[in-house]
Amino acid sequence: MYDVIKSTMPFLLEGLWITFQLSIITIFCGSLLGAVIGMLRTVDSRLIKYPLGIYIHTLRGTPFLIHLYFVYFMLPAIGVSWLQFEAYTAAIIALSLYTSTYVAEIIRGAIEAVPRGQGEAARATGMTAMQSMWYVVLPQAVKMMIPPMGGIYVMIIKGTSIVSVIGIAELVRAGEHATQRHPKELMVIYGMTALLYFVYCYPVLRLARWAETKYGSVRLPS
Amino acid sequence: MDWILDFYNYRVVVQYLPEFVRGLGATAWISLVALVLALTIGTIVAVMRMSHNPILWRVAAGYVQTIRSTPLLIQIYLIYFTLPALPLLDRRLDELEGGIIALGLNAGAFMSEIIRAGIESISKGQNEAAQSVGMTYLQRMRYVVLPQAFARVAPPLLGQTAVLIKDSSLVSFIGVFELFGAGLVILNERLMPNEGFLTVAACYLVIYTLMLQVSVYAQRRLGGTATV
Repeated sequence: MYDVIKSTMPFLLEGLWITFQLSIITIFCGSLLGAVIGMLRTVDSRLIKYPLGIYIHTLRGTPFLIHLYFVYFMLPAIGVSWLQFEAYTAAIIALSLYTSTYVAEIIRGAIEAVPRGQGEAARATGMTAMQSMWYVVLPQAVKMMIPPMGGIYVMIIKGTSIVSVIGIAELVRAGEHATQRHPKELMVIYGMTALLYFVYCYPVLRLARWAETKYGSVRLPS
Repeated sequence: MDWILDFYNYRVVVQYLPEFVRGLGATAWISLVALVLALTIGTIVAVMRMSHNPILWRVAAGYVQTIRSTPLLIQIYLIYFTLPALPLLDRRLDELEGGIIALGLNAGAFMSEIIRAGIESISKGQNEAAQSVGMTYLQRMRYVVLPQAFARVAPPLLGQTAVLIKDSSLVSFIGVFELFGAGLVILNERLMPNEGFLTVAACYLVIYTLMLQVSVYAQRRLGGTATV
């Protein structure tokens, strides 16, 4: 067993590195997109609210696997050349879209948790809507976003396991390759893979819980 | 009308309709069995987690943290590939059993947290009153605490059930035929991803919308917050 661990560990760590890259890029892109959508959702206009609501509920109502297949198999079939993504790009796009729906709800929840008077007072002193959002509302909302964002980050890390299906050599894929070399040691290899995920995710969850006791949290649709 | 047929050939979908119906039935069955398993595990783990016995609550907490910190896909692989290697069973698990057990264990961890929040929200007086009329621990749980707790957390539990139904698509990885598998059949036999996956997506969306409605209804009838 020790031999198996010793011979497969370098490959699994390589996979973990790809998982790490994917999750970092995704949390960045997904949060950016989610922040825009979340802030737009607080605007009082049906024309903006409803399409974004449909976007969020459509993505939440379907499995991530479908999003991935949509970006990787169906968009290229339309025939537009710039929609022909390679696997890595497709994975990041699908993961980011998926993430954005959750981030959007967190941001909206946090903005709405800031008392209305704050924004109104800012407007009364002559700030524009953008200024009141940027200087008054968001700074108060950001603290409350930390705990649920920790949960989202863990969700992304776990979500990256699914992109192994389109051939990206992340942790699960690395584990699958290792099992082909040592077909009798499935339990050891998948156990190690799970352990590596645990080592990556657990501190994030602990950090989120610590932030929750320190800053409080947003009440969210789970 | 040709461009519609180019993008989404509904005739092929009609031709494969029996597959989709079979897949939908399989997804419903898998989710239902996994849900029963998850609620059972969730309740037991929630009660264990609140116990004063350090062994009990540490085991429960470790289980919940482990499930929350590892991807479902790895859990499915671990259970499907390695459970048969344990000497407890003298036979291989088939894909369906492995998938359902993995889904149940996964959802059970998340549901235990919800159920625990529900039990903790029931005022202590309820428990003490039941104790004062001479009920045993199990009776108090069964007749006083759990019914109220479940009524209170029914909406978030329904939300978690919606997640469970979505997650059940992952058991197609170990070769279980379900709704997503029906989409894969069209992809493999006809090389038509749109027809396969748009239809599957629509089915999941309908299920999700139904769950959302049920959750809102449960919230209105039972109180608490609607969440999906």
